[in-house]
Amino acid sequence: MKPFLCAFLLSLAAASADIDRTKKPEPGPAPVSSFPAYALKTLPSGLKVFVIEDDRKPTLTLRLLIKSGSASDAEKSGLAGFVASLLNRGTAKRDAATFASESDFIGMHVEAVAGADAIAVSASGLTKYTDKILDLFSDAVLHPAYPAEQFAKEQRKTLSALAAEKQEPSRLAEKLAGKVLYGAKNPYGAYRTPETVQAITRDDLVQFHKTYFVPNNATLAIVGDVKTADIVALVEKAMEDWKPGDLPAFKMPAPAEIKGVNIHLVNRPGSVQSNIVLGEAGPARNSPNVPELNVLNATLGGGFSGRLFQNLREKHGWTYGAYSAFDLRKYAGAFQANAETRNAVTHLAIAETLKEIARLRDEPVPEAELELQRQYNVGNYLLSLENTSRTAQRVQDIDLYGLPADFYKTYATRMESVTPAVIQDLAKTHLSTENVAITVVGEAKEIQPELEKIGKVFVYDTELKLQ
Amino acid sequence: MTSPIAALACLIALPFSVVLAQEKADPAPLSSVAHKSILKPIQYVEYDLPNGLHVILHENHGVPVIASYVLYHVGSKNERPDRTGFAHFFEHLMFEGSDNIPRGTIDKYISGAGGNLNASTSFDQTDYYLNLPANQLKLALWIESERMMHAKIDEAGVETQRQVVKEEKRRGVDNQPYGTLFENLAALVFKNTPYSWVPIGSFQYIDQASIQEFRDFYKTHYVPNNATLSIAGDFNLEETKKLVAEFFGPIPRGPELERPKVELPPQKELQKLDVLKENTPLPATLHAWRAPKETDPDAYPIELLGSILSEGRSSRLYKRLVEKEQAALDVEAFPYLLENAGMLGVFATGQRDVTLDQLDTMITEEVDRVKSEGVTQEELQKALNQKETELASAFGTMNSRAKNLARYHVFYGDTNLINTELDRYLAVKRDDLQRVANKYLTPEGLNLLRYPVPAVTEAPAQVPLQKK
Repeated sequence: MKPFLCAFLLSLAAASADIDRTKKPEPGPAPVSSFPAYALKTLPSGLKVFVIEDDRKPTLTLRLLIKSGSASDAEKSGLAGFVASLLNRGTAKRDAATFASESDFIGMHVEAVAGADAIAVSASGLTKYTDKILDLFSDAVLHPAYPAEQFAKEQRKTLSALAAEKQEPSRLAEKLAGKVLYGAKNPYGAYRTPETVQAITRDDLVQFHKTYFVPNNATLAIVGDVKTADIVALVEKAMEDWKPGDLPAFKMPAPAEIKGVNIHLVNRPGSVQSNIVLGEAGPARNSPNVPELNVLNATLGGGFSGRLFQNLREKHGWTYGAYSAFDLRKYAGAFQANAETRNAVTHLAIAETLKEIARLRDEPVPEAELELQRQYNVGNYLLSLENTSRTAQRVQDIDLYGLPADFYKTYATRMESVTPAVIQDLAKTHLSTENVAITVVGEAKEIQPELEKIGKVFVYDTELKLQ
Repeated sequence: MTSPIAALACLIALPFSVVLAQEKADPAPLSSVAHKSILKPIQYVEYDLPNGLHVILHENHGVPVIASYVLYHVGSKNERPDRTGFAHFFEHLMFEGSDNIPRGTIDKYISGAGGNLNASTSFDQTDYYLNLPANQLKLALWIESERMMHAKIDEAGVETQRQVVKEEKRRGVDNQPYGTLFENLAALVFKNTPYSWVPIGSFQYIDQASIQEFRDFYKTHYVPNNATLSIAGDFNLEETKKLVAEFFGPIPRGPELERPKVELPPQKELQKLDVLKENTPLPATLHAWRAPKETDPDAYPIELLGSILSEGRSSRLYKRLVEKEQAALDVEAFPYLLENAGMLGVFATGQRDVTLDQLDTMITEEVDRVKSEGVTQEELQKALNQKETELASAFGTMNSRAKNLARYHVFYGDTNLINTELDRYLAVKRDDLQRVANKYLTPEGLNLLRYPVPAVTEAPAQVPLQKK
């Protein structure tokens, strides 16, 4: 430490007069956020492989995206979830215990999760185990056995987990909000229940896997300390048995229409806070205005400087956080604003949220505030480029959602050039104070009377059954 | 009880026989040779300013971003028992402003500069981080030096944050199933020490704290000689040293701190608490024993023991409770090692039709098995491989580098552990795991904390209930 100290004392003496601490320091020129380079190789099977070379860590991460998710569950909600969670529980040549031992031994993780539009299968480990990682990963993706006994165990656990969810306010709010926003007949609004979980059979899993786990319905992203040509050759060999298949036609019903101001209240006795999700219809992921919508959302509820946070938390002290987001899916979307408030101010928080939405529709955002939000979005996009796995996901998103190839190349520029008029226009198109579905999980006897003054209240129990 | 292990040994004999054979042939652990070539060293410089501020700089030009991280060596264990929650509440007030930063503008300056920020408070530390595009380095230095030099706290800010912190506690503790778990656990395991309350603290004390107390707390703990500034990212080293001196040099050194004492006489008998809460959906049980502090040599075998018990689907507790008996939804062994004390906990959430006694018996049997039989060489090697992967994956972002460089400096007095900590794990021998299991996981040292599902029809069980 000593040598540095000496050098430092000299510089202190020479320099202490250089700064004026009464003013915010001015920044240098902003760095340019260029989207990182990646390679695309299409294998003979039709599988698209994206590679991002990143030598910061001696690791390898694989993410296979199957472009069918829980929206393909049909009436058996939870099916894609089981297909995903059981992928690493035994294959044609390894039973569940063997698979676990072999992957645990090299510190490797293989996990799959089902989203609405896709299933993501991820594996990561040290590059020195590349061959073994590819062996286990391709075995899980291509040859899962779905052992009956493993399925029965997972089904049993899921039934217990569903019992637990009845006491988890955020899960209750999320499930009911999805249902009232997309509608009971839309797959995006569906959630698993004890009935749907028990209706699923092992054959359903095998069939789902056979139908959707085909290379022409997938992309693979590889990130790590690898050379593109080498890793692509290894992947091609590891997955050489994978053959394309015919995909069934997929028709997505339109989401339900949201009309009027309705409050869907889950009565959870004993709650000391209300979980509020104020929801509206929103655009799909491939809508032409997504960069601009991000700035609109940030202005309302994207972070600590958003209006909802400043109003509900910093001005009123009603909540720990208040945020909003567009939930942009492949075929439809939604807008949601969230807060958790003490019981007594539940209705006030909803009223202020509606007021903030109205203000965005009625008044242009002052230029200084908008400039802050532009910079917030552009800068945080730049910061996110540090995370190469996130970059890989974005490349896969372009393919999954059918976005323009240059979506992320023009992303920052578009957010940077959005005007107050554009924001107000978008607010008028996409945000409403008249057609709103508000989900609240809380203590009905304390909060219901005031909620009645805001809109029509529907009361549910913790099984989400309408009372 | 040996059958699962015997089965495991058979199953993995083939794939790993090569590794095991090499280990026997070579007295040096195989992976210690291998890891030196794969972990990527993180370069840094560190020094003290004359006022005592410790500075760590990691220059990295990969992406044009910087991460600024300030760690104050003060946490909830520095609080008085009648002012719990104080350090965390104070953390909220540090976003208010300073002599030169108007109230409520810190987050706006950072957002407007394209960055993000946050802070956290734990038992031992309070930390503040700012992530920014690289051209905003001076902004980070200005804000952090202003907060260290002359933060400004007024009544209006205190009152709003009182409400906010109460909502934070309702959200994380009072309105969640098992939300009081950690609060109850700390009170049992660390009884009569400053670790016996949790950082979120109690409502009543947040209300009682006066503005003068906040000012005193600030003058005592938020001084350069109790702080570490760690910056990682795309900057010029010499220029940054100069800027750090300009912004932080004028802050006067504070008084030397008296560190809180944590004295834990050996636990002589089992402590048991059943917490009856209306919102408990599934039975859950937690077994916890005191463990060494984080810098104790035994910390490393304890960490590895935790992995062997519950990391991955081939771990002992997972195989027994989740896979074989189908008794638990999930089970986790978690070493929780602090600056002056530690614990090893095992937490299991039971299935709907399982009793707490059944879960407890299974956990006890598995713990006893480690104590009487020790662990296998494959289990140790697996735990080491998992640790190697974890450490190799942990320090990718500039924020994680800045944060961990500071942590290793403050709590271990060895910043370079960010590069070398794996060696400490690799030095652990198979016998060490059985030794620490027997030393710490004693029947009289057990703390048993359980969350039964409330019976709808029966009277409450005859156990000491939590008063709340």
